[in-house]
Amino acid sequence: MSVIVRAIGLSKTFRGPDGGPIPVLEGVDVAVGPGEFVAVAGASGSGKSTLLNLLGLLEPLDAGEIWFDETRVSALTRRAQCPVRGRSIGYVFQSFLLISGLTALENVLLAARYVGRPRREALPQARALMERLGVAHRSDHYPPQLSGGEQQRVAYCRAVLNAPPLVLADEPTGNLDEGHAAVILAALRSLCHERGASVILVTHRADAAALADRTLRLRAGRLETDRVR
Amino acid sequence: MRRLLPRNYVFTILGIAVGVAGLVALGAMAERITRFIDGGDRFVLGQISVAGEGMGMGTGFTAGGLLRAAKIAEIARVPGVAAVQPQVMLPLNPSTSQFLTLTQELILGVDPGVRMPNREFRELPVREGRALRAGDRGVAVVGADFAGTRGLRPGSRLDLSARTFEVVGVLDKTLTAPDRFAIVPLEDARDLWLRRDPLLVQVFAGGGMTRADLNTGAAVAWADGVDPDALARRIQAAVSRLNVTIPGELSRLLRQSTAFFSALLFGIGVLGLVIGGLSLANTVTAAVFERIRDFGIKRALGATDFHLLREILGEALTVSVSGGAIGIGLAMAVGALVDARVLRQGQQLFLFSSRLLLFALLFSIVLGALAATYATLRIVRLSPAEAIRRGA
Repeated sequence: MSVIVRAIGLSKTFRGPDGGPIPVLEGVDVAVGPGEFVAVAGASGSGKSTLLNLLGLLEPLDAGEIWFDETRVSALTRRAQCPVRGRSIGYVFQSFLLISGLTALENVLLAARYVGRPRREALPQARALMERLGVAHRSDHYPPQLSGGEQQRVAYCRAVLNAPPLVLADEPTGNLDEGHAAVILAALRSLCHERGASVILVTHRADAAALADRTLRLRAGRLETDRVR
Repeated sequence: MRRLLPRNYVFTILGIAVGVAGLVALGAMAERITRFIDGGDRFVLGQISVAGEGMGMGTGFTAGGLLRAAKIAEIARVPGVAAVQPQVMLPLNPSTSQFLTLTQELILGVDPGVRMPNREFRELPVREGRALRAGDRGVAVVGADFAGTRGLRPGSRLDLSARTFEVVGVLDKTLTAPDRFAIVPLEDARDLWLRRDPLLVQVFAGGGMTRADLNTGAAVAWADGVDPDALARRIQAAVSRLNVTIPGELSRLLRQSTAFFSALLFGIGVLGLVIGGLSLANTVTAAVFERIRDFGIKRALGATDFHLLREILGEALTVSVSGGAIGIGLAMAVGALVDARVLRQGQQLFLFSSRLLLFALLFSIVLGALAATYATLRIVRLSPAEAIRRGA
């Protein structure tokens, strides 16, 4: 089976307020194939978000390896990891993480800026995405002027603007009502079907996990089950 | 502009403006003191001042006795002397102490037909009206502060020791002694001196003196290529019963006597740099750290250290230039208000020289860039996730 991302023996330990070690992930192995929709479930503090951060190169590893296709990206320098994040990974966060000083459209276009895509090339795609997600009429609004659902849809547009092969979504529906949550989940699911992108979704919602091809269950920093539906 | 600069940078710009305003205001006061001291120094280095032997009768830059015409003729014969200009210099208010001569208002009597011997002040710049001319009587040219405190303009009347003069000219601001001068024809100054000094009238009435002998001193010009200090010593040796100032020595004396002001000036400058610099650096650094979450997001989207440094430096440059310009404007507005108030007392507290304004702008740009670079280097050491967590 071909693999988009493979993690081997991922471990991460944080420091507590007293300086003592707090192990969050211990020896986790994960492999995700192209077009796969994988849910990550587990209790709070089980290491779900940390796993996503490590896979997304947002956090340095303490131990283990991460491979994208045939490249061991975890061994790349900090500088060399930047284009991998920009071109190969899209992020959707629970708290949206839009930049408040930029309009919705500018937030979406930000994804193109750091991978060197010309604005004129990315602009029609950004508008089309926003149209499709129903937020085109909010292009010139700033994030504080948008509802939570609208902000998450803008964040989704930003995550997929560069058509990354891997999209990481950390509780993307955590702050949304049922209607908006359904829109986001459907959009993520369609990425796998229509673009062949892989999606890793951290969620507490059973209905969201039910959409996944596979569910990884974490318990106290260890992979408990890797169940295929 | 909106894309380049986040909206919340308004307060950053205002913060920088306050810091730069402090720097510029303190710097402008320091500039004012510097100009004053330098002006005095230039004056004493531009001529050899002489007075008759003795003390107390005259005033001005050489305390001394009456300098009679015969002595002036002797001085003119000393090799190296190019010209001698007899002068009468009187305090406007005789009860004023002569201690701070550079700051008191003076009546200066000169012969308008003789070229000013001072090499640094060949011609005093006239802002309004005209300079004195040969043959003038009953007219005065006044310094800028002298005119400002009394509302004098060409055509105004000026009473000096119960004599009325017509103001024919107002000098441009020199920021040194001539700003507080009333310059009148030599013969008029001699009249004023006689009116004021009963003892002098008795001496004059006793015979043996002409009006040409009534001089409080003289300004001596030297020929090109002549060492003024050496010439001053030659005059002292060649002409008896004379007080001669050595320009170099007087300059040193002036510097020593203004050492306190120089120290004050240095202190003001350092204070301005520290207050303005800290305020600016702190504002820029805080503004960058405040947006640490945004930079974490950008790192997550693929921004490199260079991308962030370029963006932050661009923003820092924009806010520093904007804040610097507003700060300069603010300081100049406050300075103008304060000066308008103190000008009634004949003082000017601020001098916003172009070199000060340029320095303030460059200072704010360089310090803003350094502060932004420091903050960026701190931020890029964090992982994107850590930056987002800290900024949450």
